[in-house]
Amino acid sequence: MIPRHFQITIALLLLAILVSGVMVIRLRRGEQEMSLHGMPAAPEAPAVPGRLEQIRMLVAYDDDQALRWRDAAVFMPADRSLRARAVLRAVLAQYLQTPSPHPLEKGSDIKEIYLLGDDTMVVDTTSQFADGHPSGILLEQLTLTSLIETLAANVPGVSKVKFLVEGQERETLAGHADLMSFYQTKAVHELAKEFE
Amino acid sequence: MRWSNRFQFALAATALLGGALLMARAVPRAQLSANLTMQAAPAPLPSPSPEAPKRVLPEFFVMIDPSHGGDDKGAMLAGGKVAEKEISLTLARELKRQLEERGIAVRLLRDSDVNLSLERRATATNEERPGIYIALHAGQPGKGVRVYSSALALAQPPAAGRFLPWEAAQAGSLEHSRAVARIVANEMRKTGLPVATLSVPLRPLNNLITPAIAVEWAPGPEDLRPPQAQRLGNMLASAIASGIVQARSQGAERP
Repeated sequence: MIPRHFQITIALLLLAILVSGVMVIRLRRGEQEMSLHGMPAAPEAPAVPGRLEQIRMLVAYDDDQALRWRDAAVFMPADRSLRARAVLRAVLAQYLQTPSPHPLEKGSDIKEIYLLGDDTMVVDTTSQFADGHPSGILLEQLTLTSLIETLAANVPGVSKVKFLVEGQERETLAGHADLMSFYQTKAVHELAKEFE
Repeated sequence: MRWSNRFQFALAATALLGGALLMARAVPRAQLSANLTMQAAPAPLPSPSPEAPKRVLPEFFVMIDPSHGGDDKGAMLAGGKVAEKEISLTLARELKRQLEERGIAVRLLRDSDVNLSLERRATATNEERPGIYIALHAGQPGKGVRVYSSALALAQPPAAGRFLPWEAAQAGSLEHSRAVARIVANEMRKTGLPVATLSVPLRPLNNLITPAIAVEWAPGPEDLRPPQAQRLGNMLASAIASGIVQARSQGAERP
């Protein structure tokens, strides 16, 4: 005969396993829902010191196959890489709104900006930015030109820009536009004139 | 065993069974799906290479590159029903036919639905040195045709020497590429379609040593339905072929 207190202990242990099993399932379900639906619709402003400034953004308009300059008030930190991220996020926010002049995938965002010396910036983007980007020569070129021109206009001294996706190099944005090389902002400025 | 003991035993057994079942369900789904994906993965494709066998090529020939292929569908058009890779291949076959009718030799970089990396496309083209390389694309937005040449927005001027930087290999042929693009665009305009000529940093154009252009057809909502699709495809191929013949006669193809 098993002692009564031992039976109670076993029963309590099994009950604990049952409860923890239920909790694990709920946590996993919540995590899956977060990954499916929980991505912010627009990039959130970084919580860093700074002040509200007027910036100029070159925004892509698919319907007109054109790029146009727009003004916006953006919270701008003092740090260069954070400033760069703030202006790029402001452009992406235009594309992530509904209706959008140039729709991008929900979750498209700038993860980090790395400075190489004084004049080179490496922009690390989220996987949604590239994986969900509409494929097409013009569509991809409008996105990159818009981002590079806005960056050059608001962060002085940037002469070369390269894009990464989740910290990794990628051959193209969505099958067409080159992501392997460093873009020269002066040359991109000339290209942008074709779309303005 | 007393009744209360049996009850406790049954309770304990039920709890044990339930706990085990729930824990089993909590096995990471990602792991499970990764295993399934690995099992369901298709057999490896043969190493990507241009399909036509090696042969002696004429002095002047055109390399047609039907963009994308295999797993890479490219843009999805007509409400997601038609893949860019299919349009580019159909257009490429028609362009080949029309160029051959005009007495120009042609080679297709792919003539079926195979994976072919951009690097491989560039390498194969550079090895065979065609007179003109033309990549065919289809995409949005808008309606009409866009003719691209390389912009090399990313290239430093190539240093003097035997080797060219891969990212700027097009530098030496850029003027000729732009001339071919202008001539082809002019022929396209005769069809009545809206035509734009643009310079973009586009792969594999940047990596090619020969004159190279890309043509992107932006079909309207009704343009991909037969027989309209075939009519427009033939018209585009004819205009491109006429442009290439003209470019060749003007010597625009030679760097």
